[in-house]
Amino acid sequence: MDSSNDEALDIIITNVVATFRTRCHLNLRTIALEGNNVIYKPEFGKVLIKLRKPKITASIWSSGKIICTGATSEDDAKTGARRLARVLQKLGFKVRFSAFKVVNVLAVCSMPFAIQLIDFTKKNRPIASYEPELHPAATYRIKLIKATVQVFSTGSITVTGPNVQNVATAVEQIYPLLFECKRPLCK
Amino acid sequence: MSRAALRCSACGSSNIVEDALYCQAQQVCVDCGSVVSEDALSSESVYVGGSDVSYSRTTAGAKKPCMNLIIGVQRVISICRILRVNSEIEKLTQIYYREAYQHESFIRVSLRKKEHLVGCCLLLSCRLLNWPISMATISSLLDADPMVMGMLYIEMVKILNIEAPIVNITDVMEAHSHDYQISSLHAPEELSESHKDLTKRAVELVELSADTWIVTGRRPIPIMMAAIYLSWQSLKPNKHRLKLSLEKFCQLAKVNKHKPAIKRITEMKEMLCKLGQEIPWVREAVTPDNVVKHVEDILKHRHALLRRALRAQEDALLAERQASCEDLPIKEDADNHQLHGETLKSQDPEPNWGKRVLFAPPCVVQAKKSRVEQPELTDVTGDEEISDSEIDAYIRTPQEVREFALSQKMLE
Repeated sequence: MDSSNDEALDIIITNVVATFRTRCHLNLRTIALEGNNVIYKPEFGKVLIKLRKPKITASIWSSGKIICTGATSEDDAKTGARRLARVLQKLGFKVRFSAFKVVNVLAVCSMPFAIQLIDFTKKNRPIASYEPELHPAATYRIKLIKATVQVFSTGSITVTGPNVQNVATAVEQIYPLLFECKRPLCK
Repeated sequence: MSRAALRCSACGSSNIVEDALYCQAQQVCVDCGSVVSEDALSSESVYVGGSDVSYSRTTAGAKKPCMNLIIGVQRVISICRILRVNSEIEKLTQIYYREAYQHESFIRVSLRKKEHLVGCCLLLSCRLLNWPISMATISSLLDADPMVMGMLYIEMVKILNIEAPIVNITDVMEAHSHDYQISSLHAPEELSESHKDLTKRAVELVELSADTWIVTGRRPIPIMMAAIYLSWQSLKPNKHRLKLSLEKFCQLAKVNKHKPAIKRITEMKEMLCKLGQEIPWVREAVTPDNVVKHVEDILKHRHALLRRALRAQEDALLAERQASCEDLPIKEDADNHQLHGETLKSQDPEPNWGKRVLFAPPCVVQAKKSRVEQPELTDVTGDEEISDSEIDAYIRTPQEVREFALSQKMLE
């Protein structure tokens, strides 16, 4: 997370999405009736459970597949998933915690300088794309580590990737490219 | 509807015969001669010349050229004629359309999407051959959602592997200003302006806005509308023009008003005020109300005024810093204040650069509070013991379940 400068960049992870399976069929109606903090969506065929600690929202399908979103770190996501599995166990389902995988990590980072987006796009042609009429940020996709960085002209960037390590690598990779296209603050 | 049940609406008789007017089949009442119902004049099938049997099942040897491709190419030609682009662009668009159409990711998409593809190919060739046109224009011509077209455009560019330059807003300005019908032919003498003057001044205004963070990251059309409105007002800043609101101006020029344009006008006026204050021969305070008459001077000397404004800001900041440095040792409880100053700094590690600089984008000036990272739980593996009482907080007792089910029934 260090840059080539003296100051260190703060990468703040805002969302971690993880999935796991319970290896058994779940009766959504039972969960909806007996669970607390539960939202039942029959039209989508799923149930939402919101845990308070760690702050996580889980979507539960009757096949036993569960997606947890809203965690702020990978460990938090795992604790939340286990807690959820425990809740389902207590409700009477024969739950086995398996196939836990962090699927997506979203982080934001703020550069201490503004960026010339048109310059940045020209220098990184096929990898970066910028359509001002559609979205105010330039999109930079790093294929190797499967990360997408959205660069805003104010210097903030958002990074999405499959895990936290990739996100950190992406920020390290893109910092020198952004520094080149720094926009002088006066104008 | 059987013929026996049909009744003539004019005379009420049920004596109706099948007849034909050239190739149009009709049903005519014998008694009064009125036409009860008729078929279409020609059978309009989209698949002109297509057969009912698909190609894979026929025993045809040669594959006929795809009808929809031909129709698509004709659409390309007609749109190019409507926009009056030159013949090179027309040819290039046709080439790209044929290539994209036959690519595997576009051959099976819906016909509506293939129409959007026409617009995307046109946009691409215009950009490559330096013909300034915006995505919004093409999508309004095709009656398409600009977002959908934009996504398709990005996909197509990736597939065809072409690098297209980005359109500059100042180039599109001239084309956009022609939309406004306020030349002397369309509007009363007092309110009319020639296109050339209007475009020239609007382009200068847009360039100035680009330097001061009003253009970056915003949609181009409201900015252009705001620039044209302000230039029109400033070319003859009499009472009549100044009183006319944006809505009335758009009605006069017969264009659709865009709501964000009002915000852009406010931002541009604020920026012009900051520069107007630096004009040496203006004695009174420059406010957003009276800045319009100074716009001509501001634009003429914009570089000099920008330099003066930035220098003044730097001097002000320097003076502030010196004042705060001098104050600290003078105060009695100097230690407390120093500590206070230090803690302030530690809470806000990167002081908002928007506050330090004269011109900054609104999202930086009114920054949301940055999220402080929560201290991460170390040594968390997920295998910890979770107490039963905590889990029970998430589960209802059987009594509560019954009450809940009852209340749900009552609510329904």
